[in-house]
Amino acid sequence: MKPSSPNAFLSLLLIACGGVLAVGCGQTPPASYRLNMVEATKQRLTPVQERQVATILEAMFGTPDAPVALPETGLDESKLRLASGPVRSDIVGRKNGLYREHCAHCHGVTGDGMGPTAAFLNPYPRDYRPGVFKFKSTERADKPTHADLHRILVNGIAGTSMPSFALLSEPKIEALVEYVKYLSIRGETELALMRAFFELDDDAAGVLPETREFLVDETLSPIAEKWKSAAAAQIAVPDMPADIDLAASIAKGRELFYGDKANCVKCHGVTGLGDGQANDYDDWNKAIVEIRKEIEGGLSKPASSGGTAEEAAEERAQAAWLARFSRVVEGDALKPRTIPPRNLRLGLYRGGRRPLDLYYRIHAGINGAPMPAAKGTVPPEDIWHIVNYIRSLPYEFDGELGVDRPMVARDRF
Amino acid sequence: MKLPATGIASIVLLACVGCGPGRVSAPAADVGAAEKIRATLVSSSGAAAAGDAASAAPTGTGWATLRGRFTFAGAAGEAKALVVDKDTEVCSKAGVKLLDRSLLVDPSTKGIANVVVFARKASRSKPPAAEAADGATPLSSLFDQKNCEFLSPVFAARVGQPFEVRNSDPIGHNTNIAGTSFNQLIPAGAGTAYKPDAETGMPTMVTCNIHPWMKAYAIFRKDGYVAVSAKDGSFSIADLPAGEVIEFQVWHERSSGPNGAVGIEKPELKWTPKGRFQVQLAPDEIKDLGALEIPAGALGT
Repeated sequence: MKPSSPNAFLSLLLIACGGVLAVGCGQTPPASYRLNMVEATKQRLTPVQERQVATILEAMFGTPDAPVALPETGLDESKLRLASGPVRSDIVGRKNGLYREHCAHCHGVTGDGMGPTAAFLNPYPRDYRPGVFKFKSTERADKPTHADLHRILVNGIAGTSMPSFALLSEPKIEALVEYVKYLSIRGETELALMRAFFELDDDAAGVLPETREFLVDETLSPIAEKWKSAAAAQIAVPDMPADIDLAASIAKGRELFYGDKANCVKCHGVTGLGDGQANDYDDWNKAIVEIRKEIEGGLSKPASSGGTAEEAAEERAQAAWLARFSRVVEGDALKPRTIPPRNLRLGLYRGGRRPLDLYYRIHAGINGAPMPAAKGTVPPEDIWHIVNYIRSLPYEFDGELGVDRPMVARDRF
Repeated sequence: MKLPATGIASIVLLACVGCGPGRVSAPAADVGAAEKIRATLVSSSGAAAAGDAASAAPTGTGWATLRGRFTFAGAAGEAKALVVDKDTEVCSKAGVKLLDRSLLVDPSTKGIANVVVFARKASRSKPPAAEAADGATPLSSLFDQKNCEFLSPVFAARVGQPFEVRNSDPIGHNTNIAGTSFNQLIPAGAGTAYKPDAETGMPTMVTCNIHPWMKAYAIFRKDGYVAVSAKDGSFSIADLPAGEVIEFQVWHERSSGPNGAVGIEKPELKWTPKGRFQVQLAPDEIKDLGALEIPAGALGT
């Protein structure tokens, strides 16, 4: 039939388009790891260099459906297989693809903390790629122990969207802990590779050496080594004195909280509500804030008149880079959010509510967050006093006995 | 037929455009090449590096000194005042305004301060004890803060050599050195020692989270071959190994180059856009590079 009228033509078009929409574009491609485009653009990698990083990473770590763990990583590949790939059951009915079933919607296939639901959560899900974790029993810059990550998976993180996975069997939890380590080691390796381009000598012609010496000995092993030594980096906590006078300890802790030595008051506020220094960012968000500042500063810079043709070309290249960077940050990073200091009146502690957990937080600070370490300048017994004071805060008696009024937090402080 | 036409148009548009602007496309791996690389990584035998020994072998004897002076071709402009909104009784004592120190140009000499120069790699280095001879600026062992300002805007230290992080203010601070293990409370009038355990590459940011306007940079090098330019722009690195080509890296906080690298036009030193230049020194030579002019456009505003 020859389309004789515009009407008939439009109907045909409608059918054709409807077909496209209904069928889609064929089979879903297998899941792939997305390159860390923010760092790639920050390091001004060329498309060829970006592709080299993607290729090396695939060689070292495989794909989301078929992960590879080189022996130097110290990871158990059989555990990774249980956690990776699409959600499915194997021949004996065992569930596979645990990471995508339970984690990827928030933490992303790549572990970049940018799964489909991430933008709606506060705080944002953790981005594993920098290899920084907050709630752990090791010194500030050290990796969490296996038991630390295990505890987070089983208990969840109170006050955040991270739920408890206590209902999963032990082998499944083990598989997921291993997979989180795998994604983290992969992400840190990716960052190291991207940064290595700048460190190249000029005669390397902008190509990373694809040798075992460079990729494994110089790049992967130092990262994997830190994970392996985490258990040895655990903080030694002296016991709280058994005969401690709790009331006196709380009073001493209060003094430290407001004093110049521990200085908790500066960020957690005179009320302890976390309303002191409240316009700071954590390391993940601060990185994006700094990049945004650089982009905005660069784009608002007026074009210089005059100058040689070479200078003008350089300026144009810089402007093009800034424009691309701005698009990359728009699509590959979440909108930065400030990090409020913890409200200590709620009795809700993200890293756990045991006195030991609070001791770890105060001793080592919180890696990735502004919270500094007290070790070195505040002795252990004083840290215990602060722990005791903090633990008393949600229940602090605030007024005269017998005064009858509703106990609303807003009224009290 | 207005309505269906519009509807069709929008369907066509949707089918073609998809759902929103989407992200910048990321490159995919080259699967064939990846498999080849993996094969070399897995077979650990035969991977022993052959012929790499040559680059590490020292080629000369004796020591030498490198000097120079950075000047700025542009105008520094008025320094911006920082927003100081906490602890003002200490931080803005007697109405003193803290200023942005990211670009300090000495009006009389045009010298630019806080430019960092360091050796990328040297085949040999003098042990720390022999340092600070020859009148060269020794690396400081004190990182202090007073009136809510880090006293060294750019601080250089040698890996493995402890320095003191001090707080000379009557209020508490914390000192957070990005990319290292160090973020510690420094009580009023107290100090604590820190021994850097790894090189930083380019300088890394130092902040105080309690007073967000406080900012400095720190650089740690294993061989200690690093200098920060003085007020008049001059720098000096002593005890450099003579008889080999040493590549130096130049950095400034405000540089618009990659990672803060400062590129200048200096073909005789093989100066690259990555902010690197090469020098070979004779034993006991004191080489003065003279005035090194940084063009106005090289430092972003």
